[in-house]
Amino acid sequence: MIATAYASFGQLNKKNYTRKKLSRTDVGMVFSYYNQNNDHSAVTGGTGTEDLQVYVTHLALDNVRDSVRTVHFDMGFDVISSASTDNIDFVVSSASKVDARVYTSLGYERPLHDRKATWGMNTSFSIESDYLSWGQMFSLSHINEAQTQELTASLQMYFDDLRWGRYQFDGTRELVYPVELRNTKWFDRYRRNSFNLALGLLQTINRRMSLGVYPGLTYQAGLLSTPFHRVYFIDDTERVENLPDSRWKIPIGAQLNSFLGPRWVLRANYRFYWDDFGITAHTFGLEAPVKVSRAIALTPFVRLYHQRGADYFKPYAKHSPLQEFYTSDYDLSKFSSGATGLGFRYAPYAHKRRSTFKALELRYSHYERSDGMVANTLTLFVNYDKGQKPPP
Amino acid sequence: MKCSLAAVFMAILASCQVVKPYQRIYLNDYEMRPGYPGARGFEQYVFTIREGSSGGGGAKTSGGCGCN
Repeated sequence: MIATAYASFGQLNKKNYTRKKLSRTDVGMVFSYYNQNNDHSAVTGGTGTEDLQVYVTHLALDNVRDSVRTVHFDMGFDVISSASTDNIDFVVSSASKVDARVYTSLGYERPLHDRKATWGMNTSFSIESDYLSWGQMFSLSHINEAQTQELTASLQMYFDDLRWGRYQFDGTRELVYPVELRNTKWFDRYRRNSFNLALGLLQTINRRMSLGVYPGLTYQAGLLSTPFHRVYFIDDTERVENLPDSRWKIPIGAQLNSFLGPRWVLRANYRFYWDDFGITAHTFGLEAPVKVSRAIALTPFVRLYHQRGADYFKPYAKHSPLQEFYTSDYDLSKFSSGATGLGFRYAPYAHKRRSTFKALELRYSHYERSDGMVANTLTLFVNYDKGQKPPP
Repeated sequence: MKCSLAAVFMAILASCQVVKPYQRIYLNDYEMRPGYPGARGFEQYVFTIREGSSGGGGAKTSGGCGCN
């Protein structure tokens, strides 16, 4: 009786803010295949094959440890088969033809005392044969009392090292230049640091509509050139691409999601982008998921994009040797692009069990760029939930 | 142009309604999630590599080579 009375007294004195055990893990797996082709490779100075295939495997775990803490973990492995990087040394089918990217991140999130605000942090790591990146992110979000307005802010920092040789175990670490340009040390720096401030406002308009606004600010400093990109000049000379040591970027995006009728959703987004390389860009996207049954949704989508090219871009053999900065990377040129495709989602209703299948998504996208690039992406996403056995 | 966009934005905010938790069935639907959930994420990552722009609610803006 004394023990029972003591326990009851303890419960009476507990605050409203209590931690409840409900450990569950949301598991997401992505398998993706990407291919592209064109004849404007920056490795060969704006001409030559850009044939590329990428095979992506990605696993993400969100573990809700209790009613307070969430731990995020993800890891991925990309296999990249690139014909353009094979031309760094002109030895066809050399080691540079196939590369691998391995990446992982670990994050933690929990609410502050009033439970209206949440803070989080995340550490990430990524490695390729010619690239190593460490990342750190801090985030803060706040939702109002009526749960109709959410404000988010995050600061992301990436510290990159562009030296080649990560998969060489003999200690080789150096910038890799095109084979015929290796008698010159083109750059005395090999680091690239990026700082991104991303803000967000998600506003509920009514029962069927929400609006998100996402301004951002990015600053990059260090080696922003890719050391194995060639540039050819009008006087038939050749150099390694050279871009400024810093770059400011300002994007602002908006997304309006509306549930029209009982089965049809419209997702519209627009983004304006500006940077001090001279690029301004407009992106417009429209998706129209249709729920053909309780468990199945089909999502046709279209995305239109236009960018003004960077001041430093010129095609193959069009640069003047008097220019300070130069590139023939068509990703920085003036172009328009369009992407269209279809998504399929199967999400059966299921009672929570120890392991619950939640959804399967299959999505195909076809991309065309006005400079001739054609790309295709096929993505499979599988989502399930794993947790404690619910009480009877 | 900028003024008219700001006016539209302010008009949308002014028309916001209070939505009770039991009225959020449409807002809580998966297809209404903001950003690029599920299979959409990888496409956004590709766009940041193949195009000169990034950020503004899309995929992460650095942390990889993307130089192929």
